[in-house]
Amino acid sequence: MSSKASALARTLQGALTIAFLAGLALYAAWPWLPIPGRAAPPRTIVVYGFSILGEAMNDAVFPAFAKRWEQQTGERVEFVSSFAGSGTITNQVLLGVPAEVAILSLELDAFRLSDKGIVAEGSWRELPHDGMLNRTPFIILVRDGNPKGIHDFADLARPGIAVVHPDPLTSGGANWAIVAEHGSATRGHPEAPDAGHALLLGIWKNVVAQAASARAARTQFENGFGDALITYEQEVVRDRARGKLKGEIVYPRSTVLSEHPVVVIPSRIPSRDRALVDAFVEFLWSDEAQRLFIENGFRSVDPALEGEHDGFGVIEDPFRIDDLGGWKVAKRDVVEAVWKKRVLPELGR
Amino acid sequence: MSDSQDPREGARRFLPPGILVLVLLPLLLMPLAAIFIFALEGGPSKFVDALRSPDAQFALRFSLLIAFTTALVNCVLGTFAAYVISKYRFPGRQSLGIVVNLPVAIPTVVVGTSLLLLWGPIGLVGRWLAPLGIQPVFTPIGVLMAHVFVTFPYMFGVVKPMLDELEATYEEAAYTMGASRWQTFRHVLLPALRGGLFSGALLTFAHSLGEFGATVMVSGNLRLRTQTAPLYIFAQFEAGNIANANAVAAVLALLSFAIFFVLIRWSGGPGSMRQRKGR
Repeated sequence: MSSKASALARTLQGALTIAFLAGLALYAAWPWLPIPGRAAPPRTIVVYGFSILGEAMNDAVFPAFAKRWEQQTGERVEFVSSFAGSGTITNQVLLGVPAEVAILSLELDAFRLSDKGIVAEGSWRELPHDGMLNRTPFIILVRDGNPKGIHDFADLARPGIAVVHPDPLTSGGANWAIVAEHGSATRGHPEAPDAGHALLLGIWKNVVAQAASARAARTQFENGFGDALITYEQEVVRDRARGKLKGEIVYPRSTVLSEHPVVVIPSRIPSRDRALVDAFVEFLWSDEAQRLFIENGFRSVDPALEGEHDGFGVIEDPFRIDDLGGWKVAKRDVVEAVWKKRVLPELGR
Repeated sequence: MSDSQDPREGARRFLPPGILVLVLLPLLLMPLAAIFIFALEGGPSKFVDALRSPDAQFALRFSLLIAFTTALVNCVLGTFAAYVISKYRFPGRQSLGIVVNLPVAIPTVVVGTSLLLLWGPIGLVGRWLAPLGIQPVFTPIGVLMAHVFVTFPYMFGVVKPMLDELEATYEEAAYTMGASRWQTFRHVLLPALRGGLFSGALLTFAHSLGEFGATVMVSGNLRLRTQTAPLYIFAQFEAGNIANANAVAAVLALLSFAIFFVLIRWSGGPGSMRQRKGR
């Protein structure tokens, strides 16, 4: 082997390495390179939302608004978004992420924002429908053919049933689920005020996996954990409509309809974008957006669209959080007093 | 005689490597293979579609840009640190050397938390910056800070031993000829360090590309703004979009292989540090 050939090989190797790295750099920087003739960068809206909202917003509502805005003004809009457990989102907003709009799973998280002075107390209630974007009841998802014969929340307390439940620390859905479970036992049974506690204890004895968000709990269930998952109807209906549903939906006799507040955070909106963000928020309650939510498995807050809820199951005795006196009362009397202070210690957790 | 000995001889020679391969198979090789098998399960067109989504493209590009910048910053900072600690004698030199290496020992999530608690809007310094409209965390700057922090020791770790072992004669000769410290560094030390700088930069680049723990804390995980490729993989996996997660995971794995390959060629092949030192 001549030294000339090895020198050539070395040069070639060096050249290849440099070409590889330069190619990577060019690929990475491509969208930001100042190439003439490129369209101006779009305007942005930063939206943080709770977990199950992700697909409905990314695939349907965001593109619909962007299209409408471009038709009206000729400007392009891009949505910068993050979806995670409602509690996680709220914590991130408290820590200072640049969220302009936060869509939370429950009003309790909105109160946490107003308690810390991020937004004015109750400011979201000035939006249409008291700031509630859409609804969805809490249901039970079981394996195909319902092999364990689960027909109501009470069946989840039976020995030998493995339940997947989101974590109430970070998941809004988990808080809704606890209220649903408790309510299903106590509603219509004024003679047995402690039935809620008994049912929660029974169900939580059977909880085998806790995930940070309703979405993550769903993924755990799909990966084979547990016999039953307590979750938003929306997730299940949406997948069923797309032929992707693995499992069967069980409607409890009585369950809560969750309602999801939209919180606008004025202090994090640059003044030049205020009109854009307001237009987007207004759009959320338009017929077009509400229909998109229905297509994605949510129930609309607009009574006029009630008739379009095909494919949704019937719940004998649905209730809302206002029936319990609002989230502050429900959190204190159900989640804290019963689940946290009694059920968890009794289970030794 | 030789016939009866051969199998035993063979067993003695091939059994330990065989066991090693058996151990590595389920732990290392099969999981890596699973990424690629899963990635191609839905057919190549699905794989390409998953990669072409704006989110995936942004995440990959953003990760690469951060990795390049981190490598560049630490090339300068790490070399400077190595130079100071190797060539200057001052009290506290030893402890400073330990401090510089500290990020190796600290869990990356702790790095992220500490950055938040210092620079975040509620952090010790951040709370004074926030009213001025300055907020480094939850922006690309915050991600870069986390990556520079976490990968700091790699450059240092490569360059410092090279500086230590470099023969002092050339350096001394340069000083005798009246060269300044900078001139000596620029014309005597730097050329000798070239190979080390390159492998240190690649090492930094590779670590930055895969960084998760610190990034997840300080980035705010915003798609199209601060979501790196590893965060994208995690978010997509958690949301049940396994195909999307997997496509990007496969690309990251391939990139790491490529970098690793270059690294091995560079430090093992011609022009390696060992040969340079001997020259």
